[in-house]
Formats: sequence, structure tokens, C-alpha cells
Amino acid sequence: MSALERLLGEFASLGAGTGAVRQAAAQSLRSVGLPARNEDSWRYANLRALEQLPSFLPAAATPALATAPEALALPAPLPGYSRLVLVDGRVQREHSSAEALALAVRPGVENLARLEAVSDQRLGLIATAFATEPLTLAIDAPLALAPLALEIVSLTSPSAPASYLNLTLRVAPGVQCQLVERHLGGARQPGLAGTRIDVTLAEGAQLQHQRLFAVSGATLLLDNLQAQLHARARYQLCHIAVGGASARSTAEVRLAGAQASLDWRALAAGAGPQFNDLMLTVLHEAPATRSQQLFRGLANERAHVACNVDTRVAPQARDAVVVQSLRGLLDGQGAEVDLRPQLTINTDAVQARHGATTGKLDDDLLFYLLARGLEPAAARALLKSAFLGEVLKSIEPEALRRAAQQATALRLGDLALSEPWQ
Amino acid sequence: MSTPVLQVEDLHVSVAGTPVLKGITLTVPAGEVHAIMGPNGSGKSTLAHVLAGRPGYEVTRGSARFEGVDLLAMAPEARARAGLFLGFQYPVEIPGVNNAYLLKAALNARRRERSEPEIDAFDFLALVRAQMRTMQMDENLLTRGVNEGFSGGEKKRNEILQMLVLEPRLALLDETDSGLDIDALKIVGRGINTLRSPTRSVVLVTHYQRLLEYVVPDRVHVLARGRILRSGDRELALELERRGYDWLLEEQSAA
Repeated sequence: MSALERLLGEFASLGAGTGAVRQAAAQSLRSVGLPARNEDSWRYANLRALEQLPSFLPAAATPALATAPEALALPAPLPGYSRLVLVDGRVQREHSSAEALALAVRPGVENLARLEAVSDQRLGLIATAFATEPLTLAIDAPLALAPLALEIVSLTSPSAPASYLNLTLRVAPGVQCQLVERHLGGARQPGLAGTRIDVTLAEGAQLQHQRLFAVSGATLLLDNLQAQLHARARYQLCHIAVGGASARSTAEVRLAGAQASLDWRALAAGAGPQFNDLMLTVLHEAPATRSQQLFRGLANERAHVACNVDTRVAPQARDAVVVQSLRGLLDGQGAEVDLRPQLTINTDAVQARHGATTGKLDDDLLFYLLARGLEPAAARALLKSAFLGEVLKSIEPEALRRAAQQATALRLGDLALSEPWQ
Repeated sequence: MSTPVLQVEDLHVSVAGTPVLKGITLTVPAGEVHAIMGPNGSGKSTLAHVLAGRPGYEVTRGSARFEGVDLLAMAPEARARAGLFLGFQYPVEIPGVNNAYLLKAALNARRRERSEPEIDAFDFLALVRAQMRTMQMDENLLTRGVNEGFSGGEKKRNEILQMLVLEPRLALLDETDSGLDIDALKIVGRGINTLRSPTRSVVLVTHYQRLLEYVVPDRVHVLARGRILRSGDRELALELERRGYDWLLEEQSAA
């Protein structure tokens, strides 16, 4: 039985209580199917991990004992941030702040038509179909919102090894907000943490969105994000992917309004046999739109890190600006980094810069540090920290930056914990 | 007689199977400055890098001792921590590692070697600022990536700054004067002279004698074709300036 057949069979076993939207998502999955390795956008993804999942069933409501703070191993709250805690896709009111709960109680609003239109987002349909508590955050308070942190914990169990997040985020015109997502937890047995996030920034809205994927254990991470930016909207999206046995993140950002801008910074680090695969599609659809895409990937040991950035500038997107920098670093006999920069420009009036390089640690840099008395291991750790620092140093607040650095160091095992750029 | 800081005997070195150094013998006593001069491709930089432990060089014969210890048996970082400093001809840029961070890490590595405690942040800043004044460097360079976006002159001054902070027993300065204008040359010369003491030694690798106007060497050696062809005092450098290297090479060929 194929993974899709199992998935649909398990969805059917949930009965009629799933509702029209979830059933429509399952139906869409049936028609579009799961991605295959021979599809261009999926050539680096570890689809075998998806096929080998024992079950797609979502974890049941977690017993109160398991959601005690010590059992969840929740990190300290970020200073100044309101907090919304979700365990296996369910809001934990007792661990969440009142301000965050006030934002999050609205029922989910689905936009399947958008999802279906982009086949690379089809794994988001899994989260849509199985997420039991779709969540909508409608941020319309003018400039008054405290920064919000989503703490997303996967506990799961062998019989129901999946947890899902289906989040719709709407930011009203002119509103500035900050959102942090931390994906934590993880189980020793193979499991799935699936996310589907739909972001809309209205005219002049600004969102600083920082995402840290630090799930441990044998978890397969399937992350899907879509964003639509209206005129003059600004989206700063930082993606730190260091968790899970295998991870695939698929993001699509539409710069639909004039002067909309995206600043995307991503870090993916892997060690051991880990797979970490990112795909970003940026669509410049309006005049004077800007996007910056910065990726730093590090593969230790036998890890496989991939980044595929597909930027398309439409004919009407005159005066668009695209700056793309993708770099990979290898430090292991079997390590692999695949970078795939793609830039399609359909207008004459555009400024575009792009570069993609992959290599090993530079012997000249290493020798320079050794010649200053640093131990080889310390020198390597320092150079790796400096390499990843190009993304890490942009993270605010400091507590989140430290958490991201520690999660990266934990994954790699040999990163300097200090901040050599400071 | 005290143990020389550096004692090289009959050193033969090959790179990718090609002999580059063909029997170097050199003794540098404590407190002395020695200049090694020679034409392009003579092996001057190779000598400096072999002594600092750079990979890629094969020592096929001979020995090198640093304060009586077998230098060639030591790892590069151990040589540095023991007090050997290599000033690079082409200092690398290390984005993401700022100058102060590296300086402090290097200094603490050296202090740990001597069983001294790590330097206090306040003391470290005071030390570095004082040496930056000696080198007439802008303090902003401390918070920039190592050599990142530095001009050629700033990179060379930064090398000497590192040397002054680390206070090595032996500094091997590989063409530190190359690419410097006359003002920068004076400043670098002042930095090197600051290090001079009865217990510290310097080996200057250079093409020209102009740096030697500011750093007066105790001995001058001419290295060509992988060998030291002649040694002398500062007068030898002046003679080379007047006559070039050809006459020495011809003498060697005739011999």
C-alpha cells in the first residue's frame, strides 16, 4: 500500500466529524498525490522518510500530566513576548498568556484554492486534513500588539505519531508585528511534525517572523508556508532548521503589491545521517518589489543539506530588486550540500545579484587560526560559527538568538557557543 | 653560551616532490633581529612557513629547534602557543570573527600554555588599545571581521598588532613590508622595534632593504636557490640594494 493510500485510509477512519475543509484537503491530496523524487522541486527531499512513516494519525489530546511544564521542557518565555503554547497541535491555555489567547481563539479560515494552485505546497494539505485545531491569528490592533511567541511542542505516541499545526495569520494594513515560532519536543520513534502556515500581510503591514525548528529525535518535519504581501508590505522571515531526523520546508512568498519586500534568511545545519531540505519560491508580481534571499547550509559527517531558491520576476514587476546569496559548507566524508539558485526574469528593468558556492573549510583560514595558537577543533568550530553567524546574528531578541545558536551547536556538536561576530 | 631561540641545521624541504630548500643552516640567538633577503622564488617564504608548521611542505632532511625543542615535531598551534609567531605576507580575511575575539582567543591560548589565567576583559582592552596606539590603528578595526575589508596596509599593521599583543619569543615576519607606503613602513618598523628585547628575536623576510632602515638587523642572510649564499651585517643589505642579487648568484655558479 502506498503512503498516499495509507494516509487517505487513516483520514477516512477519523469519520465524518472532520468537517468540510479538512475533507476537501484530503480530496485535494487524492487528486494531486504526494510528490515524487523525479519532480524537479523534490529531487533533494527525503521522500523515503515520508513513505516509511508508520502512521499519519494525529496524536490524541495529551494527558494533563504530560503537559506539565517540566514534562514539556518548555524554554523560558522570551522577554517581552506574549506566549501561545501548542502541544501536538492543541492550544494549552494554562501555559499561554491571556494576550496570546485573545488573538488565537478564532476558528481557522481556510483558503484551499491557494494551496491547490501551488503543487509544491501540497504537503500542506496533510496538515490541513489532519490538524484538529486550525488556528487563525488576525492581527489588527494598531501598533499595540506585544510580540508573540508560538511554542509548538510535538510529543506524539507510537500509535498516533503525528502532530500538526495549521495556522492562518492575517496582519491588517499598517500594523507592525513580531512573531516567533519555536518547534520543540520530538519523539524517539519515527513520527511526523507537519505545519501549514498561511500569511497575508495587508497594505503597509510589517511582519518579523522568526522560525526555529529544533525538534529532536526521529521526527520527520514537513513544513509549508505561503505568504502573500500587498503593497508596501514588508516581511522579514528567518528560518533556522536544525531539528528532526529529516526535514523539508517549502515556502512560497508572493510579492503581489507594489513595493512589497521580503528579507529571507535561512540556516540549515545537519549532522549524522540527517536530511535538511529547504525550498523557497519568490514571485515578484508587482513593480518595485524587493527580495533578499540569504542561505547558509552546513553539513557535518554524512548529513545532506539542500536549498532550492526559485525566484521569478513577472513582466509587470518593473524595477524589481533581487539579491540572492546561497552558500554551503561541508565538513565530513559523506556530507552533501546541494544549492540550486534559480532566477527567471521576464522584464528588462530589474536589478539582480546572485551567487551560490559550496566548499569545505578553507585550509588557509584554518592555518591562520592554528598559527595564532587555536586548537584545530576550536578553529574549525570558530569558522563554522562565523559562517552560520551571517544568519544567526540577525536574530532578535538575544534570548532567541542564544537559543538558536545552542540548538545549532547541539545538532552539530562542534560549534562555538560564543558569538565571534560580537 | 645560552640556547639560541632558533637553530636550523641542513634543512631540506620539498613541495609536491620538488626540492625548494636545499640545506639551510641558520642560528638566531635571543635578542637578535635577522633579515633574510633574496630574489623571488628563492625559498624565503617557504622557510617561514615550514618553521610555522604549514601543511604541504615535506621536510626531507635536517632539523629546526626552537629554544632547544624539536620544532618540526610540534603541531602548528603548539608552536604558536610556545611563542612562535608568523606574520603573514597575505593575511587572510575571516568574516564573522571579529578582530578582538581572535586576539583574545589567541592570547588566552598562549596564557593557558604558560598556566596563566585567562585575561580579564578590562585588562585585555587596555592592552589592545595601547598597542593600537603604537600601530596608529583606528579602534573601530577591533570590532570588524579579521582583516575584513582592510586595506593592504591595515592588514599588515594588524599582523604587527597581533604580534605585539601576543609577545612571541620569535617572530617570523614574511614580507611584512610588501605593499606598504613610506608612512606605514615607519609605523610597522616602530611596532617591530617595540618588540625588541634581550629575550625576543625576529626573523624578517624581505625583498628590499628599505624596512631595514627602520629595523636595523643584527645579521643579514641572502637566500637564493634554496640555500643561504652569504651572511653578513647590515652592510650586506646595502650592498644588495646597490648591486642586486645577480653577482651573488654568479659567484655561486662559478664556485
